Amino acid sequence: MVEFEKDGYNAHISQQFNDELEQIRTELLTMGGLVERQVHDSIESLLNGDAELAEQSLRVDKQTNDMELQIDEHCTRTIARRQPAASDLRMIMAITRAASDLERIGDEATRISRQAIELVNAGESPRGYQEVRHIGTLVRAMVRDVLTAFARSDIQLAYQVAKQDKAVDREYRTAMRSLATYMMEDPRSISSVLNVIWVLRALERIGDHSCNLAEHLVYLVSGTDVRHASLQEMKQTVRDETEEPIDDEN
Amino acid sequence: MTTDIKTHAIDISAMQRDQRELRLEDEEITLQVKDLRLSYGEKEALHGIDMLIPKNRVTAFIGPSGCGKSTLLRCFNRMNDLVDSCHITGEILLDGDNIYGRAVDVAELRRRVGMVFQKPNPFPKSIYENVAYGLRIQGVKKKRLIDETVEWALRSAALWDEVKDRLHESALGMSGGQQQRLVIARTIAVKPEVLLLDEPASALDPISTLKIEELIHELKKDFTIAIVTHNMQQAARVSDYTAFMYMGDLIEFGVTDTLFTNPVKKQTEDYITGRYG
Repeated sequence: MVEFEKDGYNAHISQQFNDELEQIRTELLTMGGLVERQVHDSIESLLNGDAELAEQSLRVDKQTNDMELQIDEHCTRTIARRQPAASDLRMIMAITRAASDLERIGDEATRISRQAIELVNAGESPRGYQEVRHIGTLVRAMVRDVLTAFARSDIQLAYQVAKQDKAVDREYRTAMRSLATYMMEDPRSISSVLNVIWVLRALERIGDHSCNLAEHLVYLVSGTDVRHASLQEMKQTVRDETEEPIDDEN
Repeated sequence: MTTDIKTHAIDISAMQRDQRELRLEDEEITLQVKDLRLSYGEKEALHGIDMLIPKNRVTAFIGPSGCGKSTLLRCFNRMNDLVDSCHITGEILLDGDNIYGRAVDVAELRRRVGMVFQKPNPFPKSIYENVAYGLRIQGVKKKRLIDETVEWALRSAALWDEVKDRLHESALGMSGGQQQRLVIARTIAVKPEVLLLDEPASALDPISTLKIEELIHELKKDFTIAIVTHNMQQAARVSDYTAFMYMGDLIEFGVTDTLFTNPVKKQTEDYITGRYG
């Protein structure tokens, strides 16, 4: 296994190839920045009942979609023209997949923003904001961390994101149980609580996509495809690759 | 690995069988190279090569100019014997017998291990005579046998349909790509076990190159093929196994799919991705 070089995409004999890879990478990170913003705005708009912020988040989604198309086109073009191999090829593959997951995160954020607008229009403040705030904080940290991991090619951090996804799944199940209980106790709240459930569902999906992003990064760096692998297998891959102990506290 | 995964309508186990991954351990070995060292005068060009060439597979040799890949290929049919200052130690076993052994008939060895070079080199004879040549010097006299073999060789080299109406015209009137396929037909007419191809397509246009590559793919059913190429994408396209050589050493040898997606050695990665070495 060849040790992955973080700035290795910059060392080709063909300067044009360097530029293309650099550009694709920059585009992905830019798209990541947009999506991070979208997630932040959508959650805040919901928690603060800020319809204006929700509208703004919806506008960003259009940009995110365009960027996905642009990144895919640039990746396709580079494959056609340069026939990338080894880590370059994995980088292109990982980036197209990552762009697709980022776009899906954007879609989930859009769902949340729409809910925010609806809730504002209905003038309600239903039960469940506590859960949204809590899971939203976890998920936002995941998105931020996985983008940092991509920027630094840090697969230790990617593993932490995948691990965090398990925590989000647990929190999501707990929230579902308490909201179900709440609806049984007070059937009049069902329609508004359902809206909160949709939001939690979207947040949970954002967590899943962040976890996918982490897996793409591990593939890019290590060459091992850890999709559909257990967390333990991913941990092993990361440990083999970095040859460093993994901080598994917390 | 024959996991029997069935979905409602589609049996995907068949697909998985077709895509069974190659493993050197599963292969029958045609050529085995053992600690091969070669020097031209004082200068050592190959520093102890150990490798296996599996039967009915295409093994590609890649590496920068002067890395020793053509030198190694030429060892397989003792072409280096023709170079005065050349000195070789180590062994190359063809089906278990050392080709550098004392009792080896070099002419017979070169029949068993045929070679095609970078530039097509047809003889200034007719197309038919070019292919029949190897049989004639072997003493084959029966016209019917020669006719059959010429047709078989030209068909195998994917040339028959293009030349069947002008078999007795000069081979020198053919295009470069046709000439190269003719040379391949001439080489396989004597039914060798191994085909050595030294940059067989580098003097050809892209379409002729693709035809040669397709031909290589077809020919591996009958022959064991070793190919030297400067064109990495060509190696990736045609070969089952790839050997990367650098400065007279075999740096990495493995399944082509793996070597081009996830090489083990940094030098290999740098070379195949076009980075500064």
